[in-house]
Amino acid sequence: MIRRCRLALAFVAVLSAGTSLAQGVTLPEVRQVELDNGAVFILHEKRDVPLIAAEVTLRGGAVSDPEGRAGLASLFAGLLEKGAGDRDAASFAEAVAAVGGSLSAAAELEAITISADFMARDADLMVELLVDMLQRPALAATEMKKLRSRRIDLIRAAKDNGTLRLVSTYGNAFLFGGHAYGTPVDGSEASLAKISHREVQAYYDDYVGADRLVISIVGDFDAGAMADKLSEAFASWRAAKAPLPELESPLPESGRRVLLVDKPGATQSYFWIGNVGVGRGYAQRAELDIANTLFGGRFTSLLMKELRTKAGLTYGAYSSLRRPTKAGSVAILSDTRTESTVEAIDMSLELLAKMRDEGFTEELITSGKNYILGLYAPRLETSAQLAAQFAALQTHGLDASYVNDYGAAVAGAASESIQSVIMSVYPSPDNLVFVVLGDAERIREDLARYGPITEMAITDPSFRP
Amino acid sequence: MAFFAELRRRNVFKVALLFAIASWLVVWLLEGARESVHLPVWTETFVYVVIALGFPLALLFAWTYEITPAGLKKAVDVDQTQSLVFKTGQKLNAAVSVLLVLGVLAIVGERLLPTFEFLVPGVPEGEAPIATTTPPEIRSLTLDNGLKIIVWPDHDIPNVVMYTFVRAGSRNEYPGITGVSHFFEHMMFLGTEKRAPGEFDTTMEAAGGNNNAYTSSDVTVYLDWFPRSALETVFELEGDRFESLAIVPEVFESERNVVSSERRSVVDNDNFSKLNEQVQATAYVAHPYQFPIIGWPSDIESWAEDDLVNYYRTYYAPNNRTVVVTGDVTPEEIFELAEEYFAPALAQESPPPIRMVEPEQLGPRRLVVEASAQTPMLHLAFHAASAAAPETLSMKLLLNILVGGESSRLHQLFVEKEGLAISVDGYQDEGFDPGLAYFYLTLPPGGDPAELERRMLNELTRVAEEGVTDAELNKARNIVLAGFWRELATIDGKASALGNYAVFHGNYEKLFRLPVDIEAITTEDLRAIAAQVFRVNNMTAGVLRAPDAEDPQ
Repeated sequence: MIRRCRLALAFVAVLSAGTSLAQGVTLPEVRQVELDNGAVFILHEKRDVPLIAAEVTLRGGAVSDPEGRAGLASLFAGLLEKGAGDRDAASFAEAVAAVGGSLSAAAELEAITISADFMARDADLMVELLVDMLQRPALAATEMKKLRSRRIDLIRAAKDNGTLRLVSTYGNAFLFGGHAYGTPVDGSEASLAKISHREVQAYYDDYVGADRLVISIVGDFDAGAMADKLSEAFASWRAAKAPLPELESPLPESGRRVLLVDKPGATQSYFWIGNVGVGRGYAQRAELDIANTLFGGRFTSLLMKELRTKAGLTYGAYSSLRRPTKAGSVAILSDTRTESTVEAIDMSLELLAKMRDEGFTEELITSGKNYILGLYAPRLETSAQLAAQFAALQTHGLDASYVNDYGAAVAGAASESIQSVIMSVYPSPDNLVFVVLGDAERIREDLARYGPITEMAITDPSFRP
Repeated sequence: MAFFAELRRRNVFKVALLFAIASWLVVWLLEGARESVHLPVWTETFVYVVIALGFPLALLFAWTYEITPAGLKKAVDVDQTQSLVFKTGQKLNAAVSVLLVLGVLAIVGERLLPTFEFLVPGVPEGEAPIATTTPPEIRSLTLDNGLKIIVWPDHDIPNVVMYTFVRAGSRNEYPGITGVSHFFEHMMFLGTEKRAPGEFDTTMEAAGGNNNAYTSSDVTVYLDWFPRSALETVFELEGDRFESLAIVPEVFESERNVVSSERRSVVDNDNFSKLNEQVQATAYVAHPYQFPIIGWPSDIESWAEDDLVNYYRTYYAPNNRTVVVTGDVTPEEIFELAEEYFAPALAQESPPPIRMVEPEQLGPRRLVVEASAQTPMLHLAFHAASAAAPETLSMKLLLNILVGGESSRLHQLFVEKEGLAISVDGYQDEGFDPGLAYFYLTLPPGGDPAELERRMLNELTRVAEEGVTDAELNKARNIVLAGFWRELATIDGKASALGNYAVFHGNYEKLFRLPVDIEAITTEDLRAIAAQVFRVNNMTAGVLRAPDAEDPQ
């Protein structure tokens, strides 16, 4: 066997001599069907395990939540799991679990997504449930009230447990203010409480329909038969009534301001320091990903190395990019013990300045490229991952080149363009929005050095002061 | 020279070439077929023996006989002027060319169609093929120093996963060194005799790889995910840190702070973990499973260098480790790399066995944790079984019926119908020694934990008396079966599953019996396990609530 492998390898080596190593990922060819009403189906057969995965997206999401009703799209998505067609909430959940399936719906900033993962033998049931959810959701008033009150309680439970995710919600809300990108996707205690059953029903009529639907299915099934089945089910489905909101692109802020979220007795401070960044379609995505990997996107990144490995200040320090259609946010994210809050924040700011001033060495840039390329393939390994990728590309108006050309773009990124991307995307330390969640009494005075402080209690039912 | 000329004349060289190419094609086809047709394991050996024996025989045949119009004749008997060897030679040339073309096409075809699959006959359409036998491509090897290596080739993506299981966790600790296993997990990234702190990660990431590690009560596991091109780098890195770790005082002190920080962030500032730690510490009076994996704060502050050195020598020895490699590799190359990089480490005396058996619990235990909380929590823990015990699979199915997802009994009852809880979940330990089966409930603000505990006990008693329905059992089987397939859909899941079965069940083959094993479990098995485990005298109940709330009963 060894002999055969070596022979084959030698042959491959001859063929590829003189070119660079194969890099990146090429998406497989798919069967794509578009109906007259705008619904799009993407199908791809993959038979390594007897599973089938579906990703359904509806363009829209939290950005279409009306003023003061943050969480409406998310609550609506949650209700899609609470009964459809002839099944009430309990029998719907039972139908999924009885065959070992998983089916969940959630809102994102710019889409509602339904993810389904079933054994291949239950493909018909999976499609039946998805069609029912979209075309005949129960949206029952009793279920809506139960879910709404449970969601409110779960936000309270999340506030009892300090998390970096929570501080990001405060961060984006504080940075974007009234802009739709500041909407807490799952709502706040206050906004959820205001949502009525009538508003949820109206959401269905206004924002759900064939014109914004994408269904992507990958796995062990017959793509031809599935295309016919979906086409028949959705051919005469209606369009959504309301147009999607046209959003202005947010502009980066000048100067500094601070939000302090008081959690009395907290032993840790969680902080988010950011500004307006770029959108999904940013032309120099590869350069930006390399920079972000090296700044705070992996274990040996600048932030992690200095704050955790060298200074022992934290368990984790990251830089995060949120990239929706228009400009999103770029932020540093970490936590530290209450006493070292200022030390950790100061160090983060120094590292931000250092990256902007000095950039990264050629050696690090090569390392960052290898890291991104070496770990790209496992992100598109399973049927569920592929289905989600196909759906996301279609939903956001991107084509396969977004994935297929990425490897070459990363490999070919020049260090000068990486440096110019750093200067244009990462804010100067003079222009930053700070959110710190911790024991206000012990850190309030120290935080004043960063800018004017706005303070709110963690028990405040909103994510914005 | 005359001899060589005669060899040539009698086409012996051409026959040799033809034979070699034909053999190579047969071997290639055999390997392709092996991955899908499940040939018996001896097939390969048999074919090799036939080829090996056949080669000299074929040459001898070519030398001795000639093909003549009258049939086969001994070469010496043929009149040289009438000889047809030239024509036969031309035929042999043609055959060699055809086989060569086939060979090249096969290689090219294989490259262009990497996911080419043979149809497996006998599986009705739409019916999941049930894996009840170990896939034959999985191979394992134990080195002379006792290190066990398991390899599962899977060429779907050009990536590799390596899991290293060390049989050491908080179970192997004692008061004064609690948390040292987890601390060691950190130390393993902080330098060796030839590498500075952090170089492990820098080298790994520069080669396109990523890594992590986790510690449980029973094991410490090191995980590497990397492209195939980094294979040798990773073996070198792993061999180095498992053989010659450096324990440098300054590094050790700085990392102590990181672990303190981790403890504050993950336990002290997190209500779930805070309560869980207290419940675990209360449920055991004797067994080391009572220790929090991260360690008690005073121990984190005071581990000494000697504690670490002794620990490393005893527990990180090759005979106490199992390595699993999955992905774009061949077993042969992995075994070669293991011989080169893992074999030099010396075997050590086996670690001392853990003899402690937790004594029978004599009555319910209850505890309260006061913490800043808008939403109270209730955790219930019952002494159950070890990973390898047959009843653990029954408990897994039972927990799925009770708390697995939206349709489960207790979620429907307490969350959907009665609103007594906002979330209901469960978990069971699967370790070397008998562990706990847990229920985790979060209450709405103002909820009454004592009332919820009473209602939980009623429902658990009901299962112990009345059992579950056939439909519930079937549902649980399907959930576990689908979970099995989802795990095997990635090279990471494959490595995790193989390693856990190898370490906790003693062999990885048992993993592939799961679909059959779950079919054999009956509703009576589930009722019996409920009656045995869900007894109030076997329960530890923990409540977390705000300090100003009234004392529960």
